Amino acid sequence: MQRIGIDIGGTFTDVVVYDETDASLRSFKVLSTPSHPEKAVLKGLTLLSDSEERIVVHGSTVATNALLERKGSSMALITTKGFRDLLVIGRQTREHLYDLLPEPCITLVPSDRCFEITERVDYQGIVVTPLQLTEVESIIEVLQHDQIESVAVSFLFSFAYPDHERIVTARFREAGFFVTASHELVPEFREYERTSTTVINAYVSPVLDRYLAKVQKAMGQSEFHILQSNGGRLSVEQARGQGVRSIVSGPAGGVVGARYVGTLAGYENLITFDMGGTSTDVSLVRGHIPVTNEAAVGGFPVRIPIIDIHTVGSGGGSIAYRDAGGGLRVGPQSAGADPGPVCYGLGGIQPTVSDANLILGRLPHDGFLGGTMRLDHCQSAEALERLAKDLFLRPQSGLSQVQAMALGIVQVANAHMERAIRVISVERGYDTRDCTLVSFGGAGGLHACDLARQLGISRVLISPKASTLSALGMLAADVQMDYVQTLMRSRDVSYEELQRETQPLVVQGVRDLNAQGLKSDDIEVHCELDMRYAGQSFEIKVPLTFDFRAAFDRLHERRYGFSHQEAQVEVVNVRVRAVGMVMPPTLPRYQADLPDMTRAFWCERPIVLHGIVQNVPHYRGSSLETGHHLEGPSIIVQDDTTIYLGETDSASVDQYHNLVIEVGL
Amino acid sequence: MDDPIRIEIMKHLFVSVAEEMGVRLQRAAYSPNIKERCDFSCAVFDAYGQLVAQAAHIPVHLGAMPLSVQACLHKLEFTPGDVAMVNDPYQGGTHLPDITMVSPIYIQHNGQETLVGFVANRAHHADVGGMSAGSMPLSEELYQEGVIIPPIKLVCDGVINQDVWDLFLANVRTPIEREGDLQAQLAANRIGIERMEGFVHRYGFEQVCQDMDALIHYGERMTRQLIAELPDGHYCFDDQLDDDGITFEPVKIMASVTIAGDEVTVDFTGTDQQRQGSINAVYPITLSAVVYVFRCLLGLDIPANSGCMEPIHIVAPEGTIVNARFPAAVAGGNVETSQRIVDVVLGAMVQACPDRIPAASQGTMNNIAIGGWDEGRQQPFAYYETIGGGMGARSTGTGASAIHSHMTNTLNTPVEALEYVYPFRVTRYEVRKQSGGQGTFHGGDGLRREYEFLQTAHVTILSDRRTKGPYGVAGGLSGQPGRNQLQSGGNTQELPSKCRLVVQAGDILTIETPGGGGYGEDVHEKPTIHS
Repeated sequence: MQRIGIDIGGTFTDVVVYDETDASLRSFKVLSTPSHPEKAVLKGLTLLSDSEERIVVHGSTVATNALLERKGSSMALITTKGFRDLLVIGRQTREHLYDLLPEPCITLVPSDRCFEITERVDYQGIVVTPLQLTEVESIIEVLQHDQIESVAVSFLFSFAYPDHERIVTARFREAGFFVTASHELVPEFREYERTSTTVINAYVSPVLDRYLAKVQKAMGQSEFHILQSNGGRLSVEQARGQGVRSIVSGPAGGVVGARYVGTLAGYENLITFDMGGTSTDVSLVRGHIPVTNEAAVGGFPVRIPIIDIHTVGSGGGSIAYRDAGGGLRVGPQSAGADPGPVCYGLGGIQPTVSDANLILGRLPHDGFLGGTMRLDHCQSAEALERLAKDLFLRPQSGLSQVQAMALGIVQVANAHMERAIRVISVERGYDTRDCTLVSFGGAGGLHACDLARQLGISRVLISPKASTLSALGMLAADVQMDYVQTLMRSRDVSYEELQRETQPLVVQGVRDLNAQGLKSDDIEVHCELDMRYAGQSFEIKVPLTFDFRAAFDRLHERRYGFSHQEAQVEVVNVRVRAVGMVMPPTLPRYQADLPDMTRAFWCERPIVLHGIVQNVPHYRGSSLETGHHLEGPSIIVQDDTTIYLGETDSASVDQYHNLVIEVGL
Repeated sequence: MDDPIRIEIMKHLFVSVAEEMGVRLQRAAYSPNIKERCDFSCAVFDAYGQLVAQAAHIPVHLGAMPLSVQACLHKLEFTPGDVAMVNDPYQGGTHLPDITMVSPIYIQHNGQETLVGFVANRAHHADVGGMSAGSMPLSEELYQEGVIIPPIKLVCDGVINQDVWDLFLANVRTPIEREGDLQAQLAANRIGIERMEGFVHRYGFEQVCQDMDALIHYGERMTRQLIAELPDGHYCFDDQLDDDGITFEPVKIMASVTIAGDEVTVDFTGTDQQRQGSINAVYPITLSAVVYVFRCLLGLDIPANSGCMEPIHIVAPEGTIVNARFPAAVAGGNVETSQRIVDVVLGAMVQACPDRIPAASQGTMNNIAIGGWDEGRQQPFAYYETIGGGMGARSTGTGASAIHSHMTNTLNTPVEALEYVYPFRVTRYEVRKQSGGQGTFHGGDGLRREYEFLQTAHVTILSDRRTKGPYGVAGGLSGQPGRNQLQSGGNTQELPSKCRLVVQAGDILTIETPGGGGYGEDVHEKPTIHS
C-alpha cells in the first residue's frame, strides 16, 4: 500500500510517498498550477508507479483561496427577524484605531441576499415568537429566480433550541439548495461568530466539493482524504459540505510534520518556526497539536478548532527601510519572489533580510538552492550602504558600516519573530525555556539559533525533511473530528451530569470515525470543557475529569496569575474530539559508525559574528551523518536552507539525520 | 543621534509588555466593558512618569494615562511592592468608572532598590456607585457620579490594603464583579513588572533607562517631522453638543489650530463655559482628543509615547467644558465631549488638508446604562454599553457603516451573551438605511438597536447629535441625527439626547444612531451600497 501526502504551495506542489511494504519514503516537487490546483496534484500522481492500493492525503488551499479571493458560491443568509445585518455590524469595531479613512467592510453575502424570518427563542431555549414558516416560501422563490446555490441559516439561540433552524433548513434542502445550518456546524453561543462561521462554510463548500469531486474522479480507486484546519485528516466523503473545516489546511500540515519529527527525536514541547520569504508562522506544541477556537481567516471569525498558528510579516524577503523618526524598520513589505532581494539581481533595489545575511557571509553566494542560483554580493552591499548612510549609522568597532547595517537588519527581523513567539508562549503562561525550536522554513536556519538564544531556548532541531515537512505531516496526521455544544451551566454542575451531556457527542464522534473505516480500538475520545468564573467572558479549556473544577483553578492561576477557588464557575461549552489513530510512516534510522567529517567539510570563509569577522568552517548538510558533531561558529549548507551556528552553539546529527543544536545561552 | 537599530528592537519589546498586560487584563476581567469591549489601556512609563509605550487599546486614554501616573508620582512616595489606584478626574483621572492602577518597577542596582519606571493600566468598570446604575449618570456634580478615589496606595509592600478594598466594594452595585476586575488589573501590572525586570536582567539597568529615553526622543522626532509636512497656517472651526441634559441649550466648542513649522497649537478660546450637566471634560480628555487627531494624521505606525505629545500645544481656558473646574460633573465629558472635540479639530484641519480628513462621523458613543434589581436572579444588576454609528465619507469613497469611530472602539456585547445575565433582551440590531449624509460619497449609516425589558429597570441615556447631524465636507450633506424612542403601553415617546427613565416590563426602547456626513457636492439620489 502506498501512502501519499500532497501539499500545494504557491510555487511548488510537494509530494511525499511512503510505501508501507518496504517502508521507503521519497519526495519530489512539481510546479503548482494556481488557477487549477488539481492539475498539479494529478500530475504528481501520474509520476508515481501504478500502485494497486493508495491512500492520498491532501492539503487543500481551495477553500482558503475561495474565501480570500472572494470566489465562493452565490449564497444567501437567513436570520432571525431584526438581525439581517449581523455580518455588516460584526462587533462594530474598526480594524485600525488611528485610521481616519477606513474602507467599509465588504461582507461575503451582499445586503440584498440577507433575509429575515419571524421567529425568536430566548436563552433558555423557550420560544418567544413562533416560527412563521410561510415566509420561507417567498424567499425560496427569490433565491431560485436569482440562481442562488448555497444558503446559510443562523437563528439566535439555535444552539439552545435548534428546531426552528431544523425546520427551515429542511425546507431549503427540499427545494434543492446546499444548506449550512448554524446548529449543525457550530452549536455555540455568540451570534456574530457563529453566523460568520456558518456563512464561510456556505460560501466555500460548494467550490471545494466540486474540486474534490474532480480529483476523486481522476484518482479512481485511491482512498482520498484532506487535511483539516485542526491538523487531523478527514475522508473526502465526510469533508463534503464542511469546507470551513479545511480553511487553513496547508499550514496545519507543517505543524503536524514538525510535531512528528520532533516527537520521534524525543522532544515533547516544541515551538515550530517556519520562516519563509514573506512571513513567518510560529506555533507552540505541547504534546498535542495546538488548536484555537478564536481564529479569524481573511478578517472573518471562524469558530471551529483551527491549528493555533501566529503569523508575522517577517521573512527573508522583508524590506529594510528608514522611517520618519530615523529608526530602522524591517517589513512587513516584502520583495517577494519577484523581484526578490537585491542579491537575486532581478531588479530589486531595497535591501532585504536575505541581502543582510549575504553581506554577513552567513548566506553563501554560491550555495543558494544547491548552487543553482548565484547571489550578487556587490549589489546587496550597495543597497545596504545607501540605507546605512540614510540612517547615519555609526561604524562599529571591528565591523564596516555595511556589515553593521546588515547585522542591524537581522537583529530587527529577529525582534519581530521573538515577539511572535512570545505571543504564543509566555503570553499564554508557558515558559519557552523547556521547549525545542523546530525550524523548517527556507529562511529559518540562519535565524533559529539567535532567536532561540533570545528566548532562552536551549535546543534547535532542523529536520533533513525540512522542505517537505508539510507533505510529510499529511501522512502523519490522525483522523480527527471536533464537536461542540454550548451548555452555559453555572449552578454546581456535577461530573456525572457533564458526562451525560457529552455522551451524544461522543457517540457521534465514534460513529463518524467508524464510517471512515476506523476500528473502535483505534479511536480515542477526548472530552473538554470551556470554563470560566461566573461573570467572565473568556473561557479556558479544561479536560473533563472528575476534578475538573480544581484543574480549572490551576489553569487560571497559570494563565492569569490568580484563581478564585471559592467562586462559582460556569461550564460554557462541552467539546469532544474524536481521534482515529493512524500509523505514521516509519522514518529511516541510521547507525553511527565512526563518522569521518572530512567529506562534509566544504570550505572555510569569513563571516560576521557578533561584532567581529572570523573565518569559520562551512559544511555540506547532505554529507552529514549520524554521530557527526559540529562546533559553532560554522555554517551548514543544505539544498533548501542554510544554517548558522553562533560562537557558543554546537550541533550533532541524530539517528534520523536531524541536526540537533545545543544553543549556548 | 540614537542607535536606529536599538530603537526598533526596544520598541517591540516595550510595546509587547503593554500588549501582554492587556491580554491578561482582558482575559481575566469580569466587566463586559473590559473583557468584551476592550475599554482599557496598558502602558509602560519611565522613572519620571513619562510614557514610553502604550498598547493600541483605546484612544481616549492616550493622553490621559501619563497624567494619572504623574498625579500618583506627585502625591505618593512609592516603595517596592506598592500599587497606586486613582480615578479622580481632577487628579489625573478622566471620569470615575475609569480606574487606573500604577505600579513602580524596582530592581536591585548597586546594592539598593532602584526605580526603573512604572507600569499602569486603566480599565472602565461597569459600576462605581453613584446616583445611577452603570455610573454614567446625568449628574450635576462629581459627588453624584460614584466613589472618588484620589491617588492612594491600594497595595503597600505587596499587601492589599483590605480596608480600602472593602470600603470601595461597599460603595458599588456589583461588588463581586468589581473585585474580579480589580484582581485582573493587579494581575496585569504584575506581569508588566515581571517582563520589565526581565529586560533589566537581560540588558542592564543603564541600558534600559537609556532605551526608554531614546524611544521618547524618537517619538518626538517622528512627530515633528510629520507635522512639518502639514501646510503652515491658522485654521478655525466650531461645532456644538445638543445640550448638557439639564438645560436644553446647545453647547459650543471652538478651536483654532495653528501649524507653524514642526509644532502645532490648538487653542480652544471661545468655547462655552462649563455646564451644570455631566458633559464637562477635564483637561486630560481634551489632550487625548487632540493627540488622537494628530496621531491619525501622522500615520498608523508612530509609537504612542510622551515624545509624540511634545510638539503639540493646547490652550484650554480653565472653567470651560474642555477644561472643567472641580466639582463639575464629568461622566459624559469622556464619552461625548471628547468626540465633539475631535470633530472640531478635524473640521479645522479640513482646511489644511482636505483630502486626508473625512466628513464628521457619528460624534457620539450612544451610552446606554441599564440597571436595577434582577427579580429572577435575585441580585442587583448594572449594564453599560455604547453603540456604533456612521463614519464620515472620504474624498475617495463612502464612509463605513455601523461602526465605532474616533475616541472609542469598543466591541458590542453579543445579544446571546447579554440575555444570560440581564433581564432584558435585544429584539432588533440593524443598519439604519439611508442615514448617512449624501454627497459625491455617502456617509456611513448608523445603527438601530431595540431593547425589550422583561421587568422594571432604570435606564440612563447619554447621547448626542440628536438635533444636529454630523457635518458633511466639501459640499456633502450632514448625516441624519440620531433618535431615542420609548414605546410603553401603546404610546410612543420621543426621548431627549440625555435622559434618565424608569421602564416597565414590555417597554421597548429604540436607539437610532447618527449617520456620517457626506463628502463632495455631487448630491443626488444614489442608493447606499451595503455589500
